[in-house]
Amino acid sequence: MKHWFDLYAVLIRSSIQSRMQYRMNFVLGTLLASLIQIAEFLMIAIILNKFGAVKGWSLHEVGYLFAVMTLSKTLYRTFASDVHHLERYLTTGELDQLLTRPMPVLLALMSQNVRLMPAELLQGSAVLYWSLHGLMSAGQITWTAVPYTLLAIITGAVILFAIGLATAAVGFWMTRINELQTLTEDASQTAARYPLVLYPSWLRSFLLVAIPVGFVNYVPSLFILRGEYGPWLILAVALLAACVLGLALTFWKFGLSRYQSTGS
Amino acid sequence: MLYFTLASKAYARNLHYRGAHMLHNVASALFGYLYACIWIGIGQDHPLGEYGVHGMVGYIAFNQASLWVSGFVSNGLGIPQAVRTGQISLDLMRPVHLFVMCMCREWGQIAYQFVYKSVPIYLLYMLAFKLSLPTRPDTLLFAAVALAAAGYMSICINYMIGATSLWTTESSWLYWVNHALINLLAGFLIPVEWLPSWLQTVGWLSPYPYLLYVPTRIYMGYEQPGILLGSVAWCMLLTLLCLLVTAAVRRKVEVQGG
Repeated sequence: MKHWFDLYAVLIRSSIQSRMQYRMNFVLGTLLASLIQIAEFLMIAIILNKFGAVKGWSLHEVGYLFAVMTLSKTLYRTFASDVHHLERYLTTGELDQLLTRPMPVLLALMSQNVRLMPAELLQGSAVLYWSLHGLMSAGQITWTAVPYTLLAIITGAVILFAIGLATAAVGFWMTRINELQTLTEDASQTAARYPLVLYPSWLRSFLLVAIPVGFVNYVPSLFILRGEYGPWLILAVALLAACVLGLALTFWKFGLSRYQSTGS
Repeated sequence: MLYFTLASKAYARNLHYRGAHMLHNVASALFGYLYACIWIGIGQDHPLGEYGVHGMVGYIAFNQASLWVSGFVSNGLGIPQAVRTGQISLDLMRPVHLFVMCMCREWGQIAYQFVYKSVPIYLLYMLAFKLSLPTRPDTLLFAAVALAAAGYMSICINYMIGATSLWTTESSWLYWVNHALINLLAGFLIPVEWLPSWLQTVGWLSPYPYLLYVPTRIYMGYEQPGILLGSVAWCMLLTLLCLLVTAAVRRKVEVQGG
């Protein structure tokens, strides 16, 4: 196990080095990504600023949901970038090259094209700091929220990774998965940036059971911000994340065993 | 005739992927549904200005459907890829102006998206949210003109985004920035008059409100057709810019790869 971790670390480092050969591209990409992030948060901030609380969720609380989702997603996409881009490997037959490497395909895929995302990290951290600071000043939470939040971000990243992996594995049968990803990743992550109480119950169940993005930020926040249930909720979410990851990995392995190359 | 052939080929190419696109429509419709839910949620505790809850749902529905005409055009009209493969040199040699060629191809794409994405998505919303069509036919006509102008403006903007790839080889970031600006300044989620005043000023200095906000407002009967003059002015200005950019591209082109 340690051997694979060391190998992964080496591959990640070299991937970052190769990325840094195009320094100008990196700087420009980061600046423009910041602009996109600011625009995205502005939309939520403007709505809440104009109308106040949404179904009992204050501006700071919604900011918190937004920040945890952004940071979990950033973690997932930084360390497993090309799991999200499996379609390219499937349609061009590039996956065959990875299959010949003396390491698990998933590890090879995860260390390809590692993308540092400083803009997302900075924006997520800034919004998180602002929300926590606001909630602490109001006396709604204490400093204990900080370690719980960090744990929630990590378990959240695991859940998002598992969802991404399971979606990618469908590609072994379907080849084209971009459309499916829009549903399981983009749309559901966007939905979970807002409190789930906004949605009708069928959609809420969908976001908690079928695609469990609700467990990334919404469910942990019920305890961390509002003191509902108890600390066991965070542990339960971590356990769920482990289960979901296990299921996704099993599905991935099964899918890989059914893989047929498409190359010409 | 050539121009029509270019457009119809782009349309026909897309027809092969109708099945996958229908699945995508479900995801796209879900996006609009989420945003509508947000407004329904807010509308329970607050009045939503002149729109009201049902009006805001209609606003979001029309915007989400229009996005396939004025939002989701091909990244840089395919120019970045042509630059990377070297195809751009051949494109520039053709006896057709580069801008006109790209534009015609994209009109085919937009026509396809209108028929197979905008219309089904809007029909779905009409059923789900019990929306109705405008009662006056001229409202529909003016909204169609505004939407066509929006499509054209979007083609122009993406042509310029594509042209930057001759200098940078990478323009996908600009494509996403353009998309973020559409979300924010074109009134996609929030009507422009609800933005902070400084952002409204920035917005109205740009063509963005004419991409979604203006067509939707006309469709909903809140605007007079006079506002279309703004669309026309932006179309002319953007066309001029595209022609200037093409002149610069002709001097800049380098053939990559081997």
